[in-house]
Amino acid sequence: MSTPMLEIVNLHVRVEDKEILKGVNLSVPAGEVHAIMGRNGSGKSTLSYAIAGRDGYEITGGDIRLDGKSILDMEVDKRAAEGLFLAFQYPIEIPGVATMTFLKAAMNAQRKARGEDEMTIPEFMKAVQEAAKNLSIDKDMLKRALNVGFSGGEKKRAEMLQMTLLEPKMCILDETDSGLDIDALQVVSEGVNQLRAPNRSMLVITHYQRLLNHIVPDRVHVFSDGRIVESGGKELALELEAKGYANYEGAAGAV
Amino acid sequence: MSEQNALILTEAEQALVAQLNESGAKQMASDLSETGLPTRRVEAYHYTDLRMLLREVPQSFSQENLETQTAHCSFKIADAFEIDFDNGQISLVENAPFGVFVADQDGSSLSERKDILCDLNRAFTKKSLLVRLEGKVANIVHIKRSISGDARHVNSALMLDIAAGAEMVVLETFEGNEAAHLGNHATRVNLGAGAKFTHIVIEANSKRARHFHTMEYAIGENVTLRNLVVNSGAELSRVQMFGRFEGEGTHADLSGLNLVDDGQHCDITMDMTHAAENTTAEEMFKSVVRNRAKAIFQGRIVVDAVAQKTDAKMMAQGLMLSEGAQILAKPELEIFADDVQCGHGCTCGELDEDALFYLMSRGIGRQEAGALLIRAFIQELLDPIENEDVNLALSKIVSDWLEEGSTS
Repeated sequence: MSTPMLEIVNLHVRVEDKEILKGVNLSVPAGEVHAIMGRNGSGKSTLSYAIAGRDGYEITGGDIRLDGKSILDMEVDKRAAEGLFLAFQYPIEIPGVATMTFLKAAMNAQRKARGEDEMTIPEFMKAVQEAAKNLSIDKDMLKRALNVGFSGGEKKRAEMLQMTLLEPKMCILDETDSGLDIDALQVVSEGVNQLRAPNRSMLVITHYQRLLNHIVPDRVHVFSDGRIVESGGKELALELEAKGYANYEGAAGAV
Repeated sequence: MSEQNALILTEAEQALVAQLNESGAKQMASDLSETGLPTRRVEAYHYTDLRMLLREVPQSFSQENLETQTAHCSFKIADAFEIDFDNGQISLVENAPFGVFVADQDGSSLSERKDILCDLNRAFTKKSLLVRLEGKVANIVHIKRSISGDARHVNSALMLDIAAGAEMVVLETFEGNEAAHLGNHATRVNLGAGAKFTHIVIEANSKRARHFHTMEYAIGENVTLRNLVVNSGAELSRVQMFGRFEGEGTHADLSGLNLVDDGQHCDITMDMTHAAENTTAEEMFKSVVRNRAKAIFQGRIVVDAVAQKTDAKMMAQGLMLSEGAQILAKPELEIFADDVQCGHGCTCGELDEDALFYLMSRGIGRQEAGALLIRAFIQELLDPIENEDVNLALSKIVSDWLEEGSTS
């Protein structure tokens, strides 16, 4: 079997002296979409932040490997340059930073980190315009400060725009459905589906099955009390929707 | 009185007293030797204790030691009408554009305000540069004050007389070579009725310099005034901004930026009095401090009993980038009228961790992400400056400052 795109081995994470992740094992092969489902507070978001490398998320054991390479010692920006992308549940509003300035800084920083040349302005403009069109993002939105005054749907579409432009190998979508109405959910899901590719994997974190009707996963993992307690095919999501998470309470460690 | 008589003058005070005597200001010399420079016990100087901070005073500048050294000026604004004002020496220019009149006048341009920096400026300044502006002047008027040669104590005074209905932009820059100069400068601005005036003041001295600058605005009716003070170069600086709204219907946007790095102490002190009905003001002052340094903002809005319908809002914001960074802010309101809207706010913090993480998660390095956020914090002050060249010059000050931080 070839190297998985994302491999998490017995990961333990502590936040402010509290152990949140208690031995997560997960392997996402190249080209696959996996879903992680679990109640609020089960540690799903902690997992996404730990993978992205956020300060304050202390790894006390285990390893995270991206395309075969451990990323634990890398700073947040280095992980991104290696091809990791985290779509935020609540994208941060940054007044005073123009969306276009930010996009250009991000694209060029990643290129620089990979030893590639910076984009020319026409190349950059063309790439942004094409990607924006696919996601129904109008030009006015791109002229505003990053995420400032964006509706919930606009923020998520802006995340998809970044994901498209940065061409990551591994995308983590943290509760991408939160704050979206049905129409916005449709647009965002289509955006995600367009990015499915043999050399790109995705980890979709959600607590509703709803999103998985639109983004159909190859595997579903159930998260409870800081670890994965059950894994299965896409039908597992439907089962969870019907029966709830109650069956998995206290089941941690039984896998 | 016995305590005052017993005051032991510091080295700086002794030098100032001697220089005052030399220049014939006997009364001021005797006053200073009794009181000394203001200390933290003097309310207006509580955060900028001059007695402690001003350690020495270099030799006073006089005609005799005038050298023909090229003055230092790094700001070049296209099509600006430039007036050199080096070492406090007035050189009258010819070929002034239509509407610009340059002359000199006796004494300092400052009012009789009681304040040590004003007192000293009045005592030392024999002649002021007078610039009168009439009509709509398309060119920016750029008044360049710089100090050259060995370390010097220079006083200078400028009178900007803005005629009724005039419209223009004045840029003032303060620079100098690497020597440990002491500059105590003054700018008085008289704004005639209906004038539209933008006043940009950049302090970009070298790190060893000590810089004091007092600005006084006398503001007539229906004036639109915008100013921005950028305080970034000198080791010790205090920029004072005093103003009086004397006519109805005036609006002022006043702003300032302390951009401060290791070892610096930068103070912007604003004191505005609304003395007429129906005037509005928005005051926005920001400080960014890196390493062990100190930025100070003192702001006072006074609303006289006659000044009904005053609407004044003052905001002070600070960004501390290092453990040793200090920002001190003191906003005050003194309101004697009963039908006014006045407010003040003050915030101080570090770079937003969430925003940093977000930017870094897109591949932007910590340094660059921080620079983006610092720039965003400052941008609000630069955005309203419409003149493109001036805006670029201001932007460059910020970029250079950020650049310095990334290499140190």
